[in-house]
Amino acid sequence: MAAADLRAELDSLLLQLLWDLEELESKRVALNARVEEGWLSLSKARYAMGAKSVGPLQYASRMEPQVCVCTSEAQNGLQKFRVVRAGAQSPEEVGPREAALRRRKGLTRIPEPEVFSASPNPLNWFGILVPHSLRQAQASFQEGLQLAVDMASLQIHINWGRSQLRGLQEKLKQLELGAA
Amino acid sequence: MLGSAELCFNVDHGYLEGLVRGCKAGLLTQQDYLNLVQCETLEDLKVHLQTTDYGNFLANQTNPLTVSKIDTEMRRKLCGEFEYFRNHSLEPLSTFFTYMTCGYMIDNVILLVSGALQKKSVRDLLGRCHPLGRFSEMEAVNIADTPSDLFHAVLVETPLAPFFQDCMSENTLDELNIEVLRNKLYKSYLEAFYNFCKDHGDVTAEIMCPILEFEADRRAFIITLNSFGTELSKDAREALYPTCGQLYPEGLRLLAQAEDFEQMKRVVDHYGVYKPLFEAVGDGSGGKSLEDVFYEHEVKMNVLAFTRQFHCGVFYAYTKLREQEMRNIVWIAECISQRHRTKINSYIPIP
Repeated sequence: MAAADLRAELDSLLLQLLWDLEELESKRVALNARVEEGWLSLSKARYAMGAKSVGPLQYASRMEPQVCVCTSEAQNGLQKFRVVRAGAQSPEEVGPREAALRRRKGLTRIPEPEVFSASPNPLNWFGILVPHSLRQAQASFQEGLQLAVDMASLQIHINWGRSQLRGLQEKLKQLELGAA
Repeated sequence: MLGSAELCFNVDHGYLEGLVRGCKAGLLTQQDYLNLVQCETLEDLKVHLQTTDYGNFLANQTNPLTVSKIDTEMRRKLCGEFEYFRNHSLEPLSTFFTYMTCGYMIDNVILLVSGALQKKSVRDLLGRCHPLGRFSEMEAVNIADTPSDLFHAVLVETPLAPFFQDCMSENTLDELNIEVLRNKLYKSYLEAFYNFCKDHGDVTAEIMCPILEFEADRRAFIITLNSFGTELSKDAREALYPTCGQLYPEGLRLLAQAEDFEQMKRVVDHYGVYKPLFEAVGDGSGGKSLEDVFYEHEVKMNVLAFTRQFHCGVFYAYTKLREQEMRNIVWIAECISQRHRTKINSYIPIP
């Protein structure tokens, strides 16, 4: 019967929602732990290197992000977020810029593929010989970033699940009213 | 001459030695640390510090109190004491004090040069420099592009000039070269300081030479440990090791070839002083780090310096002990402000 099918669908949707909520909660706990660890490792690095060696003096006020968040559409039309290294996109942009340069200068230059240098590691802002605690801090924050992105995708999925659930409940109510 | 220190030291330096011993008695005790560790906020910490020798040093600070402000004010207080000692000193103690300040000058030069690389304003950087390492040519440091420029244009009149002989190069100052410059300058400085203490002889040499040997070896170990996984080659690393320690020459040669912490431990098996230190290092994030273990050993040596009289080493030892106390207070303050109290007892008490 249609009602029984609907109820089965409702049940599986509810189970999926509860499972997603549990995963969201565990990811939130993990994110808090990573962020706390990261800040404590920064304090340890300050203990080893000196309090003024790890602070706002070491980084520029404008910086290029190493990592970007990209959105994509999954099959069910939902948005999904993923983390992408910023450098992975630039080689495609080099070509047209080169051509423009050539036109302006009026010289026929053999277009050399621009040597794409790896984006600098922010750890180097604090020196080349940094203590282990600073590397640990970087690793904690990177893991935290991935967790945050996963949480955002999960949140969207949960919101979608809730709206689906509400829709199905409405349908079931109408079906039962109609049968009565 | 036998016992010359006992006969002559007090004539020129007796007043200052008495003063520094009085200051040393004012360092925080275990009871003070127990009180600090129980504070809930930085304001509580400030109230507890008022009952110690620090007094009202944070009275002029505006809200909100931050760890960085506490650190700056503590440094300023230490600098005030140090300048008092220095202004009242006679030779050879005044040269000893000048040697002590060179270490901080090197840190300031590196801070200014790397700040210039990040396009920071000179005024911001000057405000954050260590007050003990201040010198008049500081504002001009950021104009230099290469170490040779830095020497010829800026530092040739400062006390740092003699330490530049190994550092002259035309390479632009990028992150790797700044690190190499810092370590080479420090190596020359440490070796010069060691030779000065050795030539001075007497109790000063007996106390200061082991302390500076440990400092040289510590730098070699830390440079090696931090260079794993970086672009610094083994030869470049070996050039940065100071040679006035116990590890010179075989230990340094073996250390230069080490590729991980286990290989470093095998090198240290030959040195009775360092072997127990390495064994005390915990694995992973649980136990003590190598830096912690070295700081503890340094505190022990500096406290022992006060058991002898009539030498300049008490001033060095007092400054280092005060710095350890400042590190302890900053660590406790950071744990309080981050509300992360599990590691709050990782400070090193000074007996």
